[in-house]
Amino acid sequence: MDESRTVSDNVIELRGIGKSFPGVRALAGVDFTVRRGEIHALVGKNGAGKSTLMHVLTGIYPADEGEILVRGERVDPMTPARARQAGIVLVAQHAKFVPGLSIAENIFVGEWPRWRGGFVDWGQLYRKAQDRLDQVGLDLDVRRKAEGLSVAERQMVDIARALFADASVVILDEPTAPLPKHEVELLFRFVRRQRERGASFVYISHYLEEVFALADRVTIVRDGQVVGVHPVSAVTPRELIRAISGTDVERFRRTARATEGDAVLRIAGLSRPGAYEGVDLTLHAGEVVGLTGLEGCGNAALARGLFGLEPMGEGNVDLDGRLYWARQPGEALAQGVAYLPRDRHGLGIIGIRGVRENVALPILRRLSNRLGMIRGGEERRLVAGYVEALGIKTAGIDQPVELLSGGNQQKVVVAKLVATRPKVLLLDEPTQGVDVQAKVEILRIVDDLTTRGVAVGVVSDELSELLEICDRIVVFYRGRIASEFRRGESDWTHEAVLGVIEGGAVRDDVA
Amino acid sequence: MTWRKYVPQILDNLIWFILVGVILFFATQSDKFLTPVTLRNILVAASVLGLLVVGQTFVLLTGNFDLSAESTLGLAGLVGLWLIVPAGVPTRGGDVGLNPYLAIVIVLALGALIGLINGVLITVFKMNNFIVTLAMLIIVRGAILRFTEGQAVTAGESAGAETFSALGHNSLFTLPWLGRVPLSVLVVLATYAVAHVVLQHRPFGRELYAIGGNRGAALASGIDPDRRLVQVYVLSGVMAAFAGWMLAGRLGSVQQNLGEGMIFNVFAAAVIGGISLQGGRGAVIGAFGGVLLLASINAGLNLMRVSVFWIQVIQGVVILVAMFIDAQKVRFRGPVVSSAYTRGGAAASTEPMAAAD
Repeated sequence: MDESRTVSDNVIELRGIGKSFPGVRALAGVDFTVRRGEIHALVGKNGAGKSTLMHVLTGIYPADEGEILVRGERVDPMTPARARQAGIVLVAQHAKFVPGLSIAENIFVGEWPRWRGGFVDWGQLYRKAQDRLDQVGLDLDVRRKAEGLSVAERQMVDIARALFADASVVILDEPTAPLPKHEVELLFRFVRRQRERGASFVYISHYLEEVFALADRVTIVRDGQVVGVHPVSAVTPRELIRAISGTDVERFRRTARATEGDAVLRIAGLSRPGAYEGVDLTLHAGEVVGLTGLEGCGNAALARGLFGLEPMGEGNVDLDGRLYWARQPGEALAQGVAYLPRDRHGLGIIGIRGVRENVALPILRRLSNRLGMIRGGEERRLVAGYVEALGIKTAGIDQPVELLSGGNQQKVVVAKLVATRPKVLLLDEPTQGVDVQAKVEILRIVDDLTTRGVAVGVVSDELSELLEICDRIVVFYRGRIASEFRRGESDWTHEAVLGVIEGGAVRDDVA
Repeated sequence: MTWRKYVPQILDNLIWFILVGVILFFATQSDKFLTPVTLRNILVAASVLGLLVVGQTFVLLTGNFDLSAESTLGLAGLVGLWLIVPAGVPTRGGDVGLNPYLAIVIVLALGALIGLINGVLITVFKMNNFIVTLAMLIIVRGAILRFTEGQAVTAGESAGAETFSALGHNSLFTLPWLGRVPLSVLVVLATYAVAHVVLQHRPFGRELYAIGGNRGAALASGIDPDRRLVQVYVLSGVMAAFAGWMLAGRLGSVQQNLGEGMIFNVFAAAVIGGISLQGGRGAVIGAFGGVLLLASINAGLNLMRVSVFWIQVIQGVVILVAMFIDAQKVRFRGPVVSSAYTRGGAAASTEPMAAAD
């Protein structure tokens, strides 16, 4: 980056921001600037202060100390209304749209052009909307209903909407977490194009490779303080990770498996129309098997089916030699199959209840005495044991889970599953929305489980992560298993696996 | 800053502070308030409402409503009396003269059936719980009208009527000062004790909190939410019928409007007592506090000879004030929360309006 730019290049400038909540200093002396035409990444662990900083910038929390300058002018105090006026716009992960209305109506919601009688001037509405999308280079028919948009398209329309509103800076908070791979690239191309047109972005993400792919500069926050501001080209991933965590995070290493375990889950010819077809797959004790492929290839559907969240379909499945079938998660858990959902808030945690109640939920009956009363002491001991063993950072075992950081929430879900003593553990995107350190810790827990004979299946499109933790990787393509890779063999490489993930079509066509 | 430490605990148990405040207020306003007669009246009035509230609490904890409870109460009381009136008694009845115990069983089964229908419509047919129970409220009330054709049903004098009415009428023993202790009060206290144990210490109760907190997560933790919902609706129906039996026994004569309008007080008591309408939060003991509060206010205002019209207004204001104070809790909830604040299962923590995200 060109360091000789003048102050006036800064669209946003935060100086010495401090913010305290009862009992905790969330931000202390934070300086943060965003230049015109810059994508500025903001990184840090869950709870480091990123969200608080953005809440201060958008006026949701008033700052206790410091000042905020927008295009060189001081805004004091910052309020949500003033932030909107100043063009500071936050684009949420799931942009809010009225699904039944057209894209055009959504873009101009509340300010539709009207005829004199107060009736909406549809012609002008569609024309204006189409013009604007053309301006930002978004090729969408504005008459389409918003409900047909993909998550990435919604985000792009939302960004476009913000840019028309003369945004000085657009804040993207973890935009890619809900996106499949190909949509991420679409979104990035779009954001880069807007940067060329002079728009500025704050980009918040846990995915460091995305930071390197997209951002110009990066600001690192740790424990409420800025610990570094660098041009992205001047740091290495390793340096960045160290700055984020404050210590040298060790890379995860899979414990070598001594011997091949017995087959635990045997799936033979399992099919569900529209989801997967003729799946033959065996999970062995102590083995970690990656299930990967493009979005909708059947890997995630298979996990949900096996857990009874969706119909299993038809075929033969047995678990430890006995017929296995689950119409409901309760039946799966009872037979020894546990599942970690990718939708942590929808299916994982009960945010308003405490850690103890979340972890003990599936095993309440096991914890009860003959009179059907939950043995409270035993429950507390058990949960406290998991909190300790998994390193869950919480103010107490009855702390509501929604107050924990994303990584710790995920560990609560893992603890809940481990408590059921599963024979088979299916993990659906286990490290999504989790910071670097928590990620490694979760992978370690999984690794540890395999030494106790649990068979693990990991559904993920994080290929580099799968290559780190798995013993085998099974690639799905259009509902079928296209290929299988084994650790230690010559094709256990990123390139080889990726080739099958995307080129599965070739094999499919040949077959 | 130290006083702040106690604020959440005070807010969590707000209902009891309000209750004590209200009682003290009425005691200064009328020297008849703190007397055995008034207190017994409050407790008796609280017992029928209390039974409805206990059933409703189970439903509310799962994040659902049962509006039909008051009609179920009316139908149960009516059918109960109708069944036990023997032929030849010069009151309008069924001339059946059924064994009172059998009548009680039938009445409770009727409540269970209404609950079962509610539950099945809501879970199997995925119908909205508010609308289903609203429709049931209207249907059952309509059935009552059809059944009574505008006339009262009276128990009259008979051995069967005596047995049937015992729950609403009798007392088991007397206490010094307070005098005779109504059976209905003892039964309701016992019911709350059982409900508390079930909700806090049995898997069933904890699962209800889980369903209300996040149905999807409850499902993925091996709970069958639909099955639990049917169960709580059946329970709510049975408790409403139980209340109808108690009330009919106390009154001895039942009009077609038995229980009409009670559902507002049921929700008011539950919500004042800290049960979240979003589900997943609240303690049944707190709901009982809400019941006592409403009954006390009613009795106190009556003693002060406040017009019935104002009584309603004042009750409404009390609900709003309780909700206002409750909403202020959010202000005391920073990103880091003391562990004293969250007492887990028994926490009467309630922000009905707080987003659960």
